[in-house]
Amino acid sequence: MAEPVPAEEAADVALGDFAEIVRQHQSMVFSMALRFLADPPAAEELAQDVFMQLHAKLNTLKSPEHVVFWLRKVTSHRCIDRLRHSRMPQVSLDDLPESAGLEFSRDVQPADPFLSRRLQQLVRSLPAKARLMVILRYQEDLSAEDIAGILDMPAATVKSHLQRALAMLRDKVVRTMGEVRTDT
Amino acid sequence: MTHFEDELKDALRRQKPPDGFADRVLARAAESDSRPAKRTWRDSWLNIFAQPFAPANLLHWATVAAVAAALVVGGVHYRNVHVQRERAQGEAAKARLLLALRIAGSKLQLAKARVDQINSGPINRREVNSDQRHPDPNSDPTANQQERE
Repeated sequence: MAEPVPAEEAADVALGDFAEIVRQHQSMVFSMALRFLADPPAAEELAQDVFMQLHAKLNTLKSPEHVVFWLRKVTSHRCIDRLRHSRMPQVSLDDLPESAGLEFSRDVQPADPFLSRRLQQLVRSLPAKARLMVILRYQEDLSAEDIAGILDMPAATVKSHLQRALAMLRDKVVRTMGEVRTDT
Repeated sequence: MTHFEDELKDALRRQKPPDGFADRVLARAAESDSRPAKRTWRDSWLNIFAQPFAPANLLHWATVAAVAAALVVGGVHYRNVHVQRERAQGEAAKARLLLALRIAGSKLQLAKARVDQINSGPINRREVNSDQRHPDPNSDPTANQQERE
């Protein structure tokens, strides 16, 4: 029969697991918050809060898949909550300064930096729910069904929101950058 | 996936958090681990049964005692008020009944006096007189003659 693990040792083990989870998923959580809030300090604070919540709940999560699902769900809900409490205004596309675009990842440079920056700005101009769906769909590469599970809404609603958001983004890109840039 | 969606995917790819992010999270987690766990309101109340004589639970016991005393005093007061109100209502009903009986008694007295007055009054005398003036036709006339002779 296995000897019971002392409490301090168990805490170290748990903290070790937790450290591994943080290192593994920090980019996901931080990027979701950053794309949604477009405010790096606020995004870091939100991501830290998400991981602290995970730390408190870690023993209730059964599998690594469950942890990822939980992180996406809690991050999404915290993003919406933060927007609701801060009453962050919806930024119009025309009001966005050119420098408002977020920095690109230091690892990979985008094929068209100008288009990528413009798309990030346009995503920020979407309504909160649609913005979150676009982030989950194109940053996290999730299906409409997975997004529906995270946001607690029907998959059909997610699909229609995504289609509308895409049409809106495409229309804005065409208006601001011209047909040629999106087709090439 | 269309070219536009590819562009979108490229624009929204994951980004690394600022340097030291994980360390800051772990430091916060370690700090929260070292801090004594904050007892919830429910836990602290349930603890009074687990450790009834612990000094930390004295305040809870005092609260329980105060609430119990307030309930007892309130109950007794409510009962007293209720009993007093019922007694007052009973007294009022009794007074009304006595008044009604008194009124009914006086009316009966009046009625009896009137009946007595009628029985012993001029109506009876009149009846006597009318008997003398109109002898009974059914009575035997020879009897009267014999009396007269």
